Amino acid sequence: MGTEITYIDAIREAQAHALRDDPRVFIYGQDVGAFGGAFKATKNLAKEFPGRVLDSPISEDAMVGLAVGAAIEGLRPIIEMQFADFSTVGFNQIVNQAATLFWRTNVPCPITVRLPFGGTSGGGPFHSQCIETIYAHYPGLIVLTPATVEDAYSMLLEAVALDDPVIFCEHKFLYRHLKAEKLPSEALPIGKAGIAREGRDLTIVTYSAMVHEALEAATELAPEGWEIEIVDLRSVKPLDTDTVVASVARTGKLLCVGEAWPWGGVTAEIIARVASEGYGLLDAPPQRLNAKDTPVPYHPNLWTAHRPTARAIAAAARKLLRT
Amino acid sequence: MKIPIIMPQLGESIAEANIINFLVKAGDNVEADQDLIEVETDKATMTVAAPCKGKIEKFTAKLNESYAVGATLGQIEATKGEAARLGFDVAPAKISDTQHISKSDENRRSGRVQPTVRGLPVPANAAGASYMSPRMKARMVELGLQAADLAGIAGSGAAGRVTIEDFEKFLASLEKQKLTPASSMRVAVADAMRRSWTRPLATVGLPVTLDAVLAHRKNSNPKPGPALYALRALAIALAENSAPAGRLVGNKIVHPSSIDVGFAVEAEDGVLVPVLRGADKKSLSELVVRYNELVELARQRKLPADSTGGSVATVTNFGTFGLIWATPIPLPEQTLVLGMGAGRKMPHWDEAKSQFVPVTEAYLTLSFDHRVLDGGAAGRLLQRIAELMSRPEKL
Repeated sequence: MGTEITYIDAIREAQAHALRDDPRVFIYGQDVGAFGGAFKATKNLAKEFPGRVLDSPISEDAMVGLAVGAAIEGLRPIIEMQFADFSTVGFNQIVNQAATLFWRTNVPCPITVRLPFGGTSGGGPFHSQCIETIYAHYPGLIVLTPATVEDAYSMLLEAVALDDPVIFCEHKFLYRHLKAEKLPSEALPIGKAGIAREGRDLTIVTYSAMVHEALEAATELAPEGWEIEIVDLRSVKPLDTDTVVASVARTGKLLCVGEAWPWGGVTAEIIARVASEGYGLLDAPPQRLNAKDTPVPYHPNLWTAHRPTARAIAAAARKLLRT
Repeated sequence: MKIPIIMPQLGESIAEANIINFLVKAGDNVEADQDLIEVETDKATMTVAAPCKGKIEKFTAKLNESYAVGATLGQIEATKGEAARLGFDVAPAKISDTQHISKSDENRRSGRVQPTVRGLPVPANAAGASYMSPRMKARMVELGLQAADLAGIAGSGAAGRVTIEDFEKFLASLEKQKLTPASSMRVAVADAMRRSWTRPLATVGLPVTLDAVLAHRKNSNPKPGPALYALRALAIALAENSAPAGRLVGNKIVHPSSIDVGFAVEAEDGVLVPVLRGADKKSLSELVVRYNELVELARQRKLPADSTGGSVATVTNFGTFGLIWATPIPLPEQTLVLGMGAGRKMPHWDEAKSQFVPVTEAYLTLSFDHRVLDGGAAGRLLQRIAELMSRPEKL
């Protein structure tokens, strides 16, 4: 590996690490073997770990079904969905089988479903969607949304080690945009949010790729005298309400940003929690900024207008700061 | 017209590509969509095509260097028609010749539509100087403060509302001044006055001649205070018609069940209001002993619990401070407060003698809840009180 490690490198390395450490781990997905995965997240792993990085048929339903069966037999499968959008074809196996298995039978279901999700320019409606909310809705699932190279690595390792089924949402836009010097040796535990930037005037709660848009918005607002605090949720389920409420206690103002659609989403959940648990901390009505409530457009210009950008976040923050 | 050659979006998740081969050179004529540059990404080798027909002006990109998606790699000299077809016929925004990968990802956005957010919705009730955020309210409850305490703060928020920051600055500024704790009586009076002030209060006044009262008082033993005459007159007037002392609750007038009248006694750092129960049913001479007793107990702050509260109106003799006119505020649970100013010698035209004669005159004031009665009813009540006071021997 070179001196610069990308987000996708980190995902590959975490999988290599898991395969090396634990003989129960195997990877199953479309073209993950010799081809190395649609995004090269399993590049050379089939060669390095013969018989443990397996190509699946083009059936997400069958992929997850096999993984649940393997988990019952004591294995720890990692499923790669080619795109998060197509995980809906395996939805039944994820939410009805994997999510409920332990509750029905006391048999744990340690599967990790990797979802390359989120928008990239020109991705369009089938290759851009953010569907973390749908999975977070189901009891029994853990939904992770790492925003950094370090978190992609450490959280994927932790996901494989967990006895619960994990939906691992890895953002396609971050795959090669993010670079780190080295892989982390320690990390916050899953379920703990991080403070991506400290500030005292306004809290932006966000996750995944939007953390970076929010950071850029904070940089834009800094010369105007505003100090923006950014909470990186890291995992949307479990949701670290304590860290969010503590941040709102410091700032009094809350803006939630999500690349997913607004309706009943993670941003709505955060506002609901702050409204009920931290109402007396709010000095202004909490706000949220999401993608527009339409399918994701193909055209790059439309796509840029569809999702929250640093510019849009800064504008929303400015308005809230002046309330 | 020069048309830029741009690094295209080469596929999902591709942020940059490495130049590995130039397929044409500067000066070459090229067709639209002709392959110009071979680039290599993490996933595959691809080509950058000519955006239009024309002559290669120059390549600004260098071999074996990485360029971000959207970066300018060179320029094509094209006809105006070609440029118009591509939408380049208007002056383009300034684009630097070569845009290397930068941490700010500036390249990625150059030339893109920059959306703005309009109308982040803020509820209508969230605007305005009177709006107090949940945090403000929580903080005020914590500190035992009321909205009236914020009157002196100039708000910096939307429509002049006081933000939590304004509030904390205000609190910090107070710390620099001398602070003493308010007595519990001061706090109780403040609370009563603030609650009372939520109503529309009005005051009317009437000058009355006190000579008859003063003469009567001179010959009495024990001597009733001037306020007691007013109190007894008020009690009789309310016994005749209790409606002005009623309280408005919703769409009902609540009439007093007993004419119990309070009177204000100044005590240290506040005012106490002992009550004479059934003041309409006892004569002045019967009331005076109890009155004097209550005044003394109030001054010692030893009033028994059953001798305060539950009164239907209050009498206050602000004349004892030398004041001739005031607008007292009734207690929150009362509709009326009768005030009495200082007596003064005034010239009075005597028709019989055809000359001015000196009389002792004082103002009676009546402050009332304007929801319950109007100026007319208040005036008639005052007139009746004045009439009763002109014959003190009948009180």
